[in-house]
Amino acid sequence: MKKKLVSLLLVGVLAMSAFIACGKTDDSAEAPADAESEDSAAAMYTSDDENTLTVAAWDANFNIPALKAAGEAFKKENPDFNLEIIEQSQSEDIENAVTTAAEAKDYSNLPDIVLFQDHYFQQYVTNYPDAWQDVDDADIDWSDFGEEKLSFSTIDGTHYGLPVDNGTVIFAYRVDLLDECGYTLDDVTGITWDKFIEIGEQVYNKTGKYLLSMDGSGNDLPYMMLQAEGQSQFKDGKAVLADNDTLVQILEVIEEMQQKNVLLLENDWDGYTNDIQKDMVAGVMNGNWIIPTIEQVTENSGKWEITSMPTLSGEEGYASNGGSSLYITANCKKTDLAKEFLAYTFGGGEGSIETYDNALRDGGVITTCISAGQSDVYQEGVAYFNDQAIYAKIVEMGSHVKVVEQSDYHYTVRENISAAITNIHNGTPVADALQQAQEEVDFAMED
Amino acid sequence: MSKQRNGLNIQGKQQRAGWVFLAPAAIMIAIFSFYPIIQAFITSFTTGTGVNQKVADPLIYNYTRMFTDKTFLRSVGNTFLYLAIEVPVMLVLAILLAQLLNNKDLKFRGLFRTMVFLPCATALVSYALIFKSLFAQDGLINTIFVNLGILENNYNFLGNTASARVIIIIALIWRWTGYNMVFYLAGLQNIEYSVYEAAKIDGANGWKTFWKITVPLLMPTIVMTVIMSINGTLQLFDESMNLTQGGPAFSTITMSHYIYNVAFGRGVGKFGYASAMSFFIFILVAILSAISMKVGDTRD
Repeated sequence: MKKKLVSLLLVGVLAMSAFIACGKTDDSAEAPADAESEDSAAAMYTSDDENTLTVAAWDANFNIPALKAAGEAFKKENPDFNLEIIEQSQSEDIENAVTTAAEAKDYSNLPDIVLFQDHYFQQYVTNYPDAWQDVDDADIDWSDFGEEKLSFSTIDGTHYGLPVDNGTVIFAYRVDLLDECGYTLDDVTGITWDKFIEIGEQVYNKTGKYLLSMDGSGNDLPYMMLQAEGQSQFKDGKAVLADNDTLVQILEVIEEMQQKNVLLLENDWDGYTNDIQKDMVAGVMNGNWIIPTIEQVTENSGKWEITSMPTLSGEEGYASNGGSSLYITANCKKTDLAKEFLAYTFGGGEGSIETYDNALRDGGVITTCISAGQSDVYQEGVAYFNDQAIYAKIVEMGSHVKVVEQSDYHYTVRENISAAITNIHNGTPVADALQQAQEEVDFAMED
Repeated sequence: MSKQRNGLNIQGKQQRAGWVFLAPAAIMIAIFSFYPIIQAFITSFTTGTGVNQKVADPLIYNYTRMFTDKTFLRSVGNTFLYLAIEVPVMLVLAILLAQLLNNKDLKFRGLFRTMVFLPCATALVSYALIFKSLFAQDGLINTIFVNLGILENNYNFLGNTASARVIIIIALIWRWTGYNMVFYLAGLQNIEYSVYEAAKIDGANGWKTFWKITVPLLMPTIVMTVIMSINGTLQLFDESMNLTQGGPAFSTITMSHYIYNVAFGRGVGKFGYASAMSFFIFILVAILSAISMKVGDTRD
C-alpha cells in the first residue's frame, strides 16, 4: 500500500511538473508584449483591447518606422489608440503565416493588419479569398494614388489594401567615380544599354568597381528592364518568355554585362546587399526601398545621385519593383477602427501628411499618395545624395511607370528567368535557355 | 488485501498496465503523426490552390505529373547524388573514428570524442549559415586559398554547380559523422574484449580482426545508421535551402526543398502536388530501408 502511495505521489509530481512546464511555454507565447520588436519571428496575435490594433510587418529600417509614424499620427486624434507592431524578420514570414492559417482554415493566429508584398497579393486573394477583408467602403479617395501601385491591391475592382511605399526604380550612381572616368549624371541618363555597357567597362577598368550588381537567385533585373520597355512577362494570363524578342535582347544584354565586368551577379540577397555595403559597386538599380541600404555606407555621403534607367532604345526608363501594402485580415474584429486608422493615415486622410512625412524622414518610405507627395519634405535636398531632391524626383519618375500585366506566377517566372541567366552564362544559347524556362513555367502554371 | 479486487488475474493486470503506459505516447503519435499522414494522403489526390482545390481527375494525376516535372526529377537526381557520395564516406569515416577513439590507450579520449561529436550540437540552420560564410566569395576559404596561391581569384564556390554540390556534401559529412560515430562507439563497447584476445592468440592481424570480428558484431548498428542516414539524406532540406537556395539554376535543389517551394516557397500553394511528392519520398525511404535491412540481415 505504501509503495502505491509513493508511486502515485511521484506520478502526481511528474504530471504537475509537465503541466507547469506547458503553462510556462504557453505564457511566453501569449505574452508578445515582452518580445515586441526584439524577437525576429514573433508570434502574431490580436489584442482584446478595443482600442488596440496589431500589425505584422518587416524591415526595421523601412516599413516599421512608417507604421510607427502612422500610429503616432492616429494617436493624436484618438488618445486611447494603441498600435502594436509585430516585427517579422522577412516578408516570407507573413506569407507563410497566412498560407498556414488559410490551409488550416483557422485565422485566429493572424494579426488585425498585415503588411504584404504587392507581387504576392493577387495570388493570395485568388487562393484564400476568406483571409481578407476589403476596404472598399473606407473613407479614401482612391484617385489620389498612383495607378500602377493600386493595380496590385485592387482585384476585380475591389480595393483590398492601402499602399505604404512606392517601388519606383531608381538608378543611383556614384557621381564621383563617374567623374573620374569623365562622365556626368547626364551622360548616364536616357542612354541605351549598349552605351551603359561602354561606360560600365571604363568604370570597372579605372576603379575596379562594378557599375551594377544584382541578386542572381531571385533576379529583379529582367523584370525591371522589361517594364522599362513597357512590357510584361505575361500576356493574357500566359507566360511569354520564349517568343519574346524584347526578353531575348534583355538577356543578351545581361550576359554581355556579366562578361564585360559591368554587372556582378551574387548568389543571394545577402551577397547583393553586401556588395553595396562593402562599397564594391559604383551604381545601384532597384526599387527606391534600396536607399536605406545605400545610405549605410556613411563615408560615401554626398557622392551619390539618382536618375532613371537605361533602355534598349535609349529613352529614359521607368519601372517599379517590390513594395508592399497593408491589408486587413479575416481575423480583425475591429474592422471599422482598422479602416478608420488606415484611411486617416496612409489613405490620404488628415493624418496622412504627418504619417508620410515622418515615414520619409525616419525610414525613407516614399508615398504613392499624390497629395501627400506634395508636402515640403519631398522638395528638400538630401545630403547623402549630393543635395539632390531625390524624393520629388522619385515621385515624378513614379508617375511615368507603365502598368504592365501581373500574374500569380510572378516569382515562378522570376526564378526560372534567373536560372536561364545562369544557364546562358554557362554557355547555353539564349533561345534554348528561354525555351527551357518557358516549359518549366508552363508546367508550373498547370493545375 | 484481496488479490482479485478488480476481477483480473495478474496477467490481465500486467496487460492493462502495459496499455496504460503505452497509451499517452500512442495517442500522441496517432494525433500528431498518423492523422496528418492520412490527411496528406487525401490531399495528395487534389489539384489547384487554396479555395480552388478540387479532387484530381484522374485521381492519380499528381502521381503521374511528378514524373514529367523536370525540376522534380532534377531534385531526385541531386538527392541521390548526395546519398551515393555522402552516406558511404560518412559511415566509413565514422567507423574509423570510432575504432580510433575506442582505443583504451589513447589519451584525452573524452576530449576527442566530444570534439568529433560537437558539430551535432549545432543547429542545422546555423551550421549551414556558417558554411555559407566560410565559402562566400569574400569568405575565409577564398582568402586562405588566394593567399596561399592555390587560387588566383576569389572563386564563387556556391555559385557553380559542381563546387556547390561538393560543399553541401562536405557540410553534411562534417555535421553528421560524429553523430554516427557515437552509435559505433556504443556498439564497439558492447563487443567483449575477450573476443579480440582470442583472435590475437589465433594470430589475426588488425585488418582481419576488423573485418572478421568488429564489422560482423557491429552489423546491427551499421544497418541502423545506414537506414537513418538514407532516411535523413532523402529528406535533406536545410542545407539546400540555406546554403545555396537550390541554385545555381536549380542544380543543387533537393526533393524536400522543391516540395517546400511548391507548397510555400513561392507562394504558389500547391499542397496537393506537394503531398503527392512527399509520398514518393516516403515510398523511396521504405524501399531503400527494406533493402538495407535485407542486406544487413545476418540470420540465415
